[in-house]
Amino acid sequence: MNRLNKHVNELFKDVPEGEKKEKILQEVLQNLEEKVIDLIEQGKDEEDAINKAIVEFGDIEDLKEELEIPQSDKKDMTKINLAYSIWGSLLIIALFVFINFYYTPQAIWFVYPTFAVLWWPLTMYFIWMKNR
Amino acid sequence: MIRSDIIRGHLDSIVLRLIFEEDRYGYEISKEISSRTDQRFQIKEATLYAVFQRLEKKELIESYYGTFSKGGKRKYYKITSLGKAFLKEMAEEWKETKEIIDLFMEGLK
Repeated sequence: MNRLNKHVNELFKDVPEGEKKEKILQEVLQNLEEKVIDLIEQGKDEEDAINKAIVEFGDIEDLKEELEIPQSDKKDMTKINLAYSIWGSLLIIALFVFINFYYTPQAIWFVYPTFAVLWWPLTMYFIWMKNR
Repeated sequence: MIRSDIIRGHLDSIVLRLIFEEDRYGYEISKEISSRTDQRFQIKEATLYAVFQRLEKKELIESYYGTFSKGGKRKYYKITSLGKAFLKEMAEEWKETKEIIDLFMEGLK
């Protein structure tokens, strides 16, 4: 069984260490050992049984993909983008309001650029929603 | 052995169905799939664990540790009520899909 242990550890060597890895490693080993015992009971010698179990285990790539920690930096980016767009648009709108009331207080025109600028945080908001 | 890429898309449902029948552990599930299909389809263990991870992440199944047995403590999986609902939906969807594909694949010579 030692060889089985070694092989499984080898398979999982790229997976980041952690509780999750430990758990799944244990589970995989338990199941494989049971399979080997089963095969031996069916009349295979231990060497053959272990080989068969290892071969039938298959390609670990899918599993690695599932084990990857969800890409948190990507999620964070959408949030940062949203915050940036809100602050940015507020500053731009404030600037328009200032220019409007300082130079042309008789005509209220700042709402037009305000509407245009609001598309920016609105877009970022929906991107953020989509990624949540 | 059958080309597996069509089956691949339905592995979640297959595994979920087996867990739906009773709580099961990994090796049992792979054995069950082989025996039910008369060895025509065998799931690779690595794939099976990926399915477990996925199903558990989606909260369609839960796991717990069972009694000590031949290789150590077995990890059992149990379907959640969300899982049951999902499985039902999948079964309906499959029926629909099968009917549509059959329209084009049946009766060919």
